[in-house]
Amino acid sequence: MAKRYDVIVIGGGHNGLVTAAYLARAEKRVLVLEKRPRVGGAAVTEEIFPGFKFSMFSYVVSLLRPEIIRDLDLPGHGLHILPLESTVTPMENGDYLAAWADHDETRRELYRHSPRDAEAYDEYGRLMHFMAQAVKPILSMVPPDPTSFAPGDLAALLKLGKHFRGLGAERLHALVKLMTMSSADFLDEWFETDVLKATKSASGIIGTFLGPRSPGTAYVLLHHYMGELDGVFRAWGFAKGGTGAVSEAIASAARSFGAEIRCDAGVSKVLVKGGKATGVVLENGDELLAGTVVSSLDPRRTFLQLLEPSQLPDEFVSDIKRFKFRGSSGKVNIALDSLPTFTCMPDGGPGGRLHRGAVSISPSLDYVERAYDDAKYGEFSRRPYMDIVFPSMIDPGMAPPGKHVMSIFVQYAPYNLNGGWTDAKREAFGDAVVNTLEGFAPGFKSKILHRQVITPLDIERITGLSEGNIFAGELALHQLFFLRPAPGWAKFTTPVRGYYQAGSGTHPGGGIMGASGRLAALRILKDGT
Amino acid sequence: MSLRTTPFHPRTAPLSEGQAWRRWAGYVVASSYELSHDREYHAIRNSAALFDVSPLYKYLITGRDAAQLLDKVVTRHVAKAKVGQVLYTPWCDNAGKQIDDGTISVLNEQTYRMTSADPTLRWLHLNASGLDVKIEDVSEKTAAVSLQGPRSREILQLAAQQDLTSLKYFRLTPARIRGIPVTISRTGYTGDLGFEVWVDAAQAVPLWDAIVETGTPYGITPAGMLALDVARIEAGLLLIEVDYFSSRHALIESQKSSPYELGLGWTVATDKEQFNGKDALLREKKQGSSWQFTGLTVDWDSLESLYAAVGLPPRLPSQAWRTSVPVYDGGGRQVGYATSGGWSPLLKQYMALVHLESQFARPGTELFMEITVEHRRKAARARVTPLPFFNPERKRA
Amino acid sequence: MSDARYDAIVIGAGTNGLVAAHYLARAGKRVLVVEQREVPDPAADMGWIPPQVLKDLRVPGLRIEEPDPWLTVPLPAGGTLELSRDMGKSVEAIRRVSPADAGKWAEFSARMHTLASVLERLYLAPPPDIETRDPRELARIGGLGLYVRRLGKQAVIDLARVLPMSIAELLDDWFESDALKGALGALGIWHLKQGPRSGGTAFNFLHHHVGSPAGVFRPPRSNSTQALSELNGVELRRGQRATVLARNGRATGVVLDGSGDAVLAPLVVSSAPPRSTLEPIAMELDPEFAWAVRNIKARGVVARGTYAIGTPPDFWNLCFAPSLDYLERAYDAVKYGRDSGAPYVEVQRTNGRVELHVQYVAPGAHQGLTEAVARVLNARPDQITLQPADESLYHGELTLDQILFMRPVPGWSRYRTPIEGLYLCGSGTHPGGGIPGAAGRNAAREIV
Repeated sequence: MAKRYDVIVIGGGHNGLVTAAYLARAEKRVLVLEKRPRVGGAAVTEEIFPGFKFSMFSYVVSLLRPEIIRDLDLPGHGLHILPLESTVTPMENGDYLAAWADHDETRRELYRHSPRDAEAYDEYGRLMHFMAQAVKPILSMVPPDPTSFAPGDLAALLKLGKHFRGLGAERLHALVKLMTMSSADFLDEWFETDVLKATKSASGIIGTFLGPRSPGTAYVLLHHYMGELDGVFRAWGFAKGGTGAVSEAIASAARSFGAEIRCDAGVSKVLVKGGKATGVVLENGDELLAGTVVSSLDPRRTFLQLLEPSQLPDEFVSDIKRFKFRGSSGKVNIALDSLPTFTCMPDGGPGGRLHRGAVSISPSLDYVERAYDDAKYGEFSRRPYMDIVFPSMIDPGMAPPGKHVMSIFVQYAPYNLNGGWTDAKREAFGDAVVNTLEGFAPGFKSKILHRQVITPLDIERITGLSEGNIFAGELALHQLFFLRPAPGWAKFTTPVRGYYQAGSGTHPGGGIMGASGRLAALRILKDGT
Repeated sequence: MSLRTTPFHPRTAPLSEGQAWRRWAGYVVASSYELSHDREYHAIRNSAALFDVSPLYKYLITGRDAAQLLDKVVTRHVAKAKVGQVLYTPWCDNAGKQIDDGTISVLNEQTYRMTSADPTLRWLHLNASGLDVKIEDVSEKTAAVSLQGPRSREILQLAAQQDLTSLKYFRLTPARIRGIPVTISRTGYTGDLGFEVWVDAAQAVPLWDAIVETGTPYGITPAGMLALDVARIEAGLLLIEVDYFSSRHALIESQKSSPYELGLGWTVATDKEQFNGKDALLREKKQGSSWQFTGLTVDWDSLESLYAAVGLPPRLPSQAWRTSVPVYDGGGRQVGYATSGGWSPLLKQYMALVHLESQFARPGTELFMEITVEHRRKAARARVTPLPFFNPERKRA
Repeated sequence: MSDARYDAIVIGAGTNGLVAAHYLARAGKRVLVVEQREVPDPAADMGWIPPQVLKDLRVPGLRIEEPDPWLTVPLPAGGTLELSRDMGKSVEAIRRVSPADAGKWAEFSARMHTLASVLERLYLAPPPDIETRDPRELARIGGLGLYVRRLGKQAVIDLARVLPMSIAELLDDWFESDALKGALGALGIWHLKQGPRSGGTAFNFLHHHVGSPAGVFRPPRSNSTQALSELNGVELRRGQRATVLARNGRATGVVLDGSGDAVLAPLVVSSAPPRSTLEPIAMELDPEFAWAVRNIKARGVVARGTYAIGTPPDFWNLCFAPSLDYLERAYDAVKYGRDSGAPYVEVQRTNGRVELHVQYVAPGAHQGLTEAVARVLNARPDQITLQPADESLYHGELTLDQILFMRPVPGWSRYRTPIEGLYLCGSGTHPGGGIPGAAGRNAAREIV
């Protein structure tokens, strides 16, 4: 008879690890089972080419909850998030738009493009600050079920209603707009500079199968402002050692609280007896028992793969089947002999700061929209939107001295490519990325030492994320809050007693936030195991 | 990239003895040129001090409806102003809360120059819909120096070869200084006799040279922001972001103020047709404001005794301060707060600009201002003083 | 100097303007209606007229058409799919294109009808005031909440899930036939500068379903504008464009373009678009409010027109929208400022005319638009007359950010404006275009 655990956590991605750490901290005997040889899921650092380390999938730490950093003492376990200071968008005409760390400098840069936009930028920023403040409490609450008549739900709904009314009319209206509009339309009200709108709206499409003119993309604009409320220097940061270091720090914290983490241990089934989870079966056939089982995998695998449909209500099964993934992004990781030179800023800006920040390939709204058009009809973007960082400029340990690594997040690459993904198509996709970039940085191609191209299909194969969706399920309005992942089951519980969900496919989901994992752990502790 | 320098920078940079610069609207300007700002301050009240005020935001508003636009935006009556007049005025949002304050110069019937502390272009455009008006941001195109002090008129008269005795307070005149076309306005931020000279940015350096050369025998002294700050407190002049928050930047309602609450009730032309905030301001005028903005003078004996209690002589602030300091009534209840303060070297007074609940704002009311003496918070007796603290006759004469 | 002849002036003699005018007249007001057209628009009025309006105003000569079959869809392999008012008939017709879809038709129809009934309830009154502290309004909102809850758990979930969805996602969840999805999806994009994959188009679909029986996804049409023009009780002045007059925050009347005459009245009610009503008096407005008015999205994407077909056609409503992708591609063009090369076209036989609804058109020259429509219809260009609209015929697109308490601008949804005595009652206000008379009636009731 094997060792008995209080809780088994399926999946050693950052959310699974956060859940495990919080549970272990509460003195539960916790086992984490990770299919891959290393923890992290989509937040891993790998040395793909000798001497060159890459944050293979997820590459920026956007909204890692500060309470998690404090509660788990992640800096004590090696976490150091370094700021990404700027964003430069090269334009097709050889000019650029830059947002720098300094307000005066950014204002002046915007003024160059449009004096009015430079002013609107401040007022827009103030509104977004309020909006982030309005939304923030929602991220750390368990979504109430509006269809339920339970006193707890009614009270929570009432509280939510009060919160929104407390915002005042003006801000409430702005919030409605933000939740329903397209980022292009929302930004149109404020700005006239196309490249500014393109770059801002590009942050609204990341991970979605939507274009900047699609309604429902505006609220993601908030993410940039959310971090500042937590006293974080910038919303976007880069973890020293890559995003894998985030996972390693959380894993280390979990272990320090007594959690056991087993890699190369894929789970094939969750054991259910009498409607209650009792443990798991590993891919190698071993059975492990526990009073509570938590899946941090995405909803499709959590319910349709680890359980039998007969163990779940029919309506729930069809809701989960309807849950949309539609992976839309790919990644190109490049080892560089030297830094590329961008036509728009040949000297790399003052102090070479261009390469210390992000480079956004979003020269115009139409450019990004056309990239989406390709994907809509099942092709990868011939000229894709790209978000580029040079991690070795921020953390020199990522590449051999003098050499560099370059991380290119690419959109759109539809999971359901016409005719399906093949090796040849993967390389064609990689070529589209490199060739597009060559246009903005001539000579870039000749500096490439190695190239790794990752399609949504690769993301699915390697990390398990269904359809390669980086958020474990689209962050669309109808898949958020009490609808994430399914109506009635947004509170981290599942129709199977003792079986919980903790991944990004639950509220609030998305990015390396860890909020889902934490809320799930708190829920489990509240229920008692 | 990096910070901008003003068109006078080639002349001001070599003057800086301590490299004491500060930011103003994205530019660098001198905090003080000399290592101590004392002499620069005294020049304002004794001879003439020369300030680089180029970072002010400047807009040129032209066209048939220019006055109509400005009259919708600001609280004073612009259409009534004559060519050559300069108006100091605040402007408000629809709730009658102040957005900013600045000046409007009537250059001719259809041409106005507006200055502001915050960028105002967007706000002007928002208000201009349907109007036949052109709004041009001339902030970068136009440089400005301010010459302030009892001898400023003599210097400028010589430099411009033009009689300025007839140029009245808040009036302007076109002029030429060594052939450079300029506008001279009798305005300033010191509450003293003084002028501002507006010039095309390309001609800034020769203008500076002309004024400095002419003024040297009269004791002209380039001066920085530290000296100016003391003078403007003596003059009881508001500073945005310090003494009040723009209603468009305020994060919460209580951070906003109306002109009535800032001692600017005199600028609200209630008889004017519709303008932003009119209804709210009329209401406030009728009902009275809950706050007043006024001066406070710290009682010397009280200050001295607080320090004496720990065995120290009174310690005075060496520069004007800009932090929020609580003000209490005799019972220890907070009834307001000071937003700027400092020692007046001329008046030998510790003065502060304060926001007070209206019933405590009557001149002469005895209150207490918080003073930190050797790490401990104390309260020094103080008296409500009407603004300005210093108001020489020469200002208007 | 007040002109004592009128208590109220209504701008615009469309259905909403006339409905508002007659409600005001019935409340004892002397009403002048000013209309810029010389004669009433002969085109049919599309949309469900709330029965309350019919009952209250009893308009003689009003004819409402409820075509059956309500839609005829040409099939790529030849033949047509005919959707009828009779549920069984529709199911049989759908079975010929997809047995699976036929099996779902009844449930789909029922679910959509339930959701539309929620909207119907919301549309017959001013939108709920979410900021209110007034106990009566709170009770009304509470009642609405209760009504929705009583429809059952499924309806609550559907409401939250479906409204923000795209019509493509919604239809893909239910059906497989491209022909059926295209024909239904077209209703979701009516008068929107959005494609079927854009979020919120499912709401637009439901909006246009309001008032129809289950399983009918095209609104009825009528001659309401014409019939109301002939109704006695208000003075109607044609051929003159009126601009609002306001001073010191108060409406004083209108000025008639051309003559320049002012007509004074203490109450001005405009059924014209909010933007064109309010922009001339921008000086009277809070700049923030004026900014919100300027930001109303009212982009014209539709051309209405006529089709000289020769022999009277044997259909009521012929829909050319062969698939959701077809609609989406038609939309792609307009995103980049071009008319659709292969537009969505619907041919409507009504009132002795054959009318056209063409989408999408972009503001501008419209070169080749007639030819493109002719290609779709397999007709000659000279048979087709089109009037592309640069501004939304609904005076504001029905996107989720521009409905209910956000329409026409956030915070001013109850037909009032910051100008005392000036009201709005057109399609630009709640509940918006496609429900003729609802806004007019709500506005008049709010005024009285």
